[in-house]
Amino acid sequence: MTHEPVNILMVDDQPGKLLSYEAILNPLGENLIKANSGREALEVLLKADIAIVLMDVSMPDIDGFQLADMIREHPRFQQTAIIFISAVHLSDLDRLKGYERGAVDYISVPVVPELLRAKVTIFAELYRKTQQLERLNHELEQRVADRTEELRESEGQFRSLANSIPQLAWMAHPNGDRFWYNQRWYDYTGKTFDELKDGGWKAIHHPDHLDRVQNSYTSSVESGQPWEDTFPLRATDGSYRWFLSRAVPIYDVNGKIARWFGTNTDITERKQAEEALVKSERFAAMGRLAGIIAHEINNPLEAISNAFYLLRDHPSLDEEARYFAKLAEEELKRVAHITKQTLSFYRESQQAVQVALAEVLENVIELQSRRLQVGGIILEKRLATDGVIHGYPVELKQVFLNIIGNAVQAMPNGGRLRIDLRESWGRNNGHFGVRVSVHDTGVGIPPEHARKIFEPFFSTKDAKGTGLGLWISKGIIQKYGGTIRFRSMRRGERCATCFSVFIPTAVSAESKEAAQVLVA
Amino acid sequence: MILCVDDEPNALVLRKLVLQKAGYEVITASSGKQALEMAESRPIDLLLSDQLMPGMTGTQLAKQIRVIAPKTRIVLISGVNEMPPDASVADVFLSKVEGPDALCNTVASALSKL
Repeated sequence: MTHEPVNILMVDDQPGKLLSYEAILNPLGENLIKANSGREALEVLLKADIAIVLMDVSMPDIDGFQLADMIREHPRFQQTAIIFISAVHLSDLDRLKGYERGAVDYISVPVVPELLRAKVTIFAELYRKTQQLERLNHELEQRVADRTEELRESEGQFRSLANSIPQLAWMAHPNGDRFWYNQRWYDYTGKTFDELKDGGWKAIHHPDHLDRVQNSYTSSVESGQPWEDTFPLRATDGSYRWFLSRAVPIYDVNGKIARWFGTNTDITERKQAEEALVKSERFAAMGRLAGIIAHEINNPLEAISNAFYLLRDHPSLDEEARYFAKLAEEELKRVAHITKQTLSFYRESQQAVQVALAEVLENVIELQSRRLQVGGIILEKRLATDGVIHGYPVELKQVFLNIIGNAVQAMPNGGRLRIDLRESWGRNNGHFGVRVSVHDTGVGIPPEHARKIFEPFFSTKDAKGTGLGLWISKGIIQKYGGTIRFRSMRRGERCATCFSVFIPTAVSAESKEAAQVLVA
Repeated sequence: MILCVDDEPNALVLRKLVLQKAGYEVITASSGKQALEMAESRPIDLLLSDQLMPGMTGTQLAKQIRVIAPKTRIVLISGVNEMPPDASVADVFLSKVEGPDALCNTVASALSKL
């Protein structure tokens, strides 16, 4: 069996003995080194890795035991095998002393070659094995160090990943207790880890949803099933956003759940878009329905109106009957007016014409003049331009009748009505056009209504209005590529409300197309 | 001579009576097909037709009348407030919601352009 030779140091003051030991040990194939004195032995020990020291107990310059002591003092030689060769008979007590010193074995003189060879072989093998072990150990340590480094790097990467994804992410123990959050969590909630633990996380859930979420999470953790739920979470500023939350269990090598890994994805925008879509579809459906109803009403309405036309001055009717017929006809005209004005967008002629908004406004103001007088409303009129646009006079009149009518109705106890007409730039699209502003000092529009006033069937006038006026007006103005906006501010007792209608005079190709789509 | 067309019998009769009260001679048809037959067999000064009818719409009828009797004035009347895209085939497009006085005025105005 080939092996790496180890160094064996033989120490004896008698060269003859050294030679004989050499002769005995040569066949083993190890490295044999000779030393004549304790001092020489120490020198050799310092220079080479010695596996076994074979030494005479009694040497002139130094006692074998003392030498052993000195050898053992060095940490490097703690494990070096020392075999004492003793001519002197050693008592058991002496031997024990030797063992205490860390001697490994004794051989008495005369040395039996086989015995010496056997003992040396054993210790040489031991030394080799120890070296091997140490080498393996070192390798293992190196591998552990490498692996640790790899892990640290991958952990660093994981951390970067976890903190850079847009989602909030977290990890929990198998019992559901969270032990790690990514940076987004802390940024979004404004809380620290300590604030979130031990039930502190309840503070960031919306009270309406807290119980349900807690229950669904707990049952997931208990059943080991992946978890999914959608609920609001509180941001640092106290507002709530909607999150789609998911968690999956991570299993260990034995198939047991080691931890939970979860994410929360902000779906607020998506929810808002969905809601807006549903709303706009609902409004489109309402619009279509309104159109159908209008049509269904218009037909019999025309027939009835014709019948009353025929009854006018009919010879068989006495005065009283004619009076009834006349009243009926008037009411019918009102019905016709209502369906015309409110149930659909009405265009009275095929061709658009040049319409001077100043004239339209004057017209509307005149229609309202009695109400202004009776209501104690002061009128301020600033028509800086004729405001000529290309369009349909009747529907434009309808829009301003609606807006100015609303302003007047908002001031039942009097106030000030200001109507401005001037050239202006559009706020959104940079088009140039005409702007009409209607200001009133009436009851104002509260913030909770603000979002809804352009919706169909939304009315603040109790039973009176149809709730369609502003919706239709907005639709009409949008056909021109224009906008209607409003502002309502409360200052103490008073309110100031302003509706602003902008109509571009240079209509771009896109807004024309959009207008056509709306008409259809 | 006015040819009055509508698929609804009450509406048709009442419209005819209104026009007659206004002094016009009126014949009636309840469908585009019937109207064409009548137009082929006698001279018509004005066609007053409903737009939404089963079988043939007012505009479709108008197009055909233009071919067989090009001099006829055409007034289309409808319960729908939005005009169909091909409404220009008629001389006037009137909404039912305008009432009988407007109807008579429109007819008079259309005939005066003969």
